[in-house]
Amino acid sequence: MYPLTDDALMLKVKSGDLDKLGLLYERHKKRLFGFFYNMNHDVSISEDLVQNVFVRMLKYRHTYKGEGSFLAWMFSTARNVRYDHYKKNKELYQADLSLLDYKMGDHENALSHLEKKDDMSLLQQGLMRLDEERREVLVLSKLKEMKFSEIAKILGCSEGAAKVKAHRALKELRQIVQKMEIG
Amino acid sequence: MKKETFEIRLIEYLRGTLPANERKELESFLEKDVAARKQLEELAKVWEDFEQLEVPEPSPEMDQGFFQALDAEIIRSNKKRTSGSQWVNELLGRIFKPQLVYGVLILGLGILGGYLLNFGGSEAATPAQTVDTSDTQELREKLVLTLLEQSSANQRLQGVSEANKIVKVDERVINALLKTLNNDPNVNVRLAAIESLSNYVNYPLVRQGIIQSIPNQESPIIQVTLANLMLALEEKGSIESFKKLLEKEELDTTVKKKIESTIASII
Repeated sequence: MYPLTDDALMLKVKSGDLDKLGLLYERHKKRLFGFFYNMNHDVSISEDLVQNVFVRMLKYRHTYKGEGSFLAWMFSTARNVRYDHYKKNKELYQADLSLLDYKMGDHENALSHLEKKDDMSLLQQGLMRLDEERREVLVLSKLKEMKFSEIAKILGCSEGAAKVKAHRALKELRQIVQKMEIG
Repeated sequence: MKKETFEIRLIEYLRGTLPANERKELESFLEKDVAARKQLEELAKVWEDFEQLEVPEPSPEMDQGFFQALDAEIIRSNKKRTSGSQWVNELLGRIFKPQLVYGVLILGLGILGGYLLNFGGSEAATPAQTVDTSDTQELREKLVLTLLEQSSANQRLQGVSEANKIVKVDERVINALLKTLNNDPNVNVRLAAIESLSNYVNYPLVRQGIIQSIPNQESPIIQVTLANLMLALEEKGSIESFKKLLEKEELDTTVKKKIESTIASII
C-alpha cells in the first residue's frame, strides 16, 4: 500500500525533506494515541503526547540512524515523552492520583450488580490499577506489528525477560479483575 | 517444558506470534499438563478482552496542532537554508549569471531603503514616506512575481516569503501564489504558498482559488494541509472539491479518512 517504508521516510526527514514526517504521522498517530490512551485513559493528554512525540522526532531527526526498527525508535521516544510529561507535572498528578483513588473507591461502592458484570469496564479499571511498568509491557505487547525483540529494546531488557514480564503482568491483571468481581 | 519456557512462550502464543515449531511443542505440553492448560485458558480470556478494549478516535485538533508545528518547522528550516552559506553561493551565482530584472529590482529596493534611512527625519518625511512605501510595495510585488517564475525552488520559496511581507496584496500576487499552489513541482513551495495564502483568506478570490485547487492536488501532505485549513475556516464551499478528490482511485487511504472526517466536521 505504501511505496516507502517507515525507515526510508524517516531518513528522508533526516536529510531535510521534512514534509515526509506528515506521512509518518498519518501512518502511526492512531497506534501512538492508543498506546498513550491505554496508559493514562485521558483523551486530551494522549493527544498532546502524540503531538509531542512527533515534534521531538522532528527536533532530534539528526539522531535517527536507521539501524533498528522505526517503530522501536518511535515508541522509545514516546516512552521518554511520557516520562518527561509526568515528571514535569508530578505534583499535579499526585494530587490527581489521590483524587482518582478516592473516586474509584467511591465509584466501586456505588456500582450496581449489573455494572459489576461489565467485563470490559472492569478490565479497563483493572488495567489502570496495574503497576505502571506492568501496564506498559502489556500495552506494548498488544502491538503485534512489533516483534518482542523490539519491545525488549524499548524496555531495555532481554527478549526473554520482556516476555516473562508480559506474562506476569497479564496474570496480575487477571487477579485484579477477579478481586474486583468478588468485591 | 520448564516453567520459565512456558512463561516465555505463553504471551507469544496468545498474541499469535509464536513460531509454528514452538507452538506445536507448547500445545503438546499443554495436552499433558492440566494445570498449565487451565492457566492458559484463564489468561486467554483476559487477553482476548484486553485486545478488544476500545480506544476512542483522536480529534481533528490533534492533526491540526501537529501540521501547524510541522509547517512552522518547514518554513523555519527553509529560511535557515536560504540565509546561510547557500545564500552567499546564490548571490555569487547571480553575479556571474546576472538576471537583469531581478538585479534591478533588488537595486531599486536598496536605493529606496537608503533614501528612507537618510532622509527619514526631515520635515518632508511624511508625504515622501507615503509615496515611497507604495513604491516599495510595488517593487516588492514585482520582486515576488519575478522570484516565483525562477527555476530554483529556493528562489521560489523566497518569492513566497517576500509575498508575506506585502501589507496589501493585489490580484496579480494572489494569482501568482495560486498558480504556484496549482503548478509548482516542489511540495515545499506549494506548502509555503498555502501558508502565505492563508493570510488572505478574507479575499473571496483567495478562498475560491484554494477551493478550486483542491481536486488538482496529488501530494498527501498538501491534501491534508488543505483539509486542515478548510476545517479551520469551516468553509462549506470546499465540500464539493473534497468530494471530487475522494473520487480519485489513487488517493492515500489515510488521507481519504482525513478528508471524510473533514467533510463530516464542516457539514
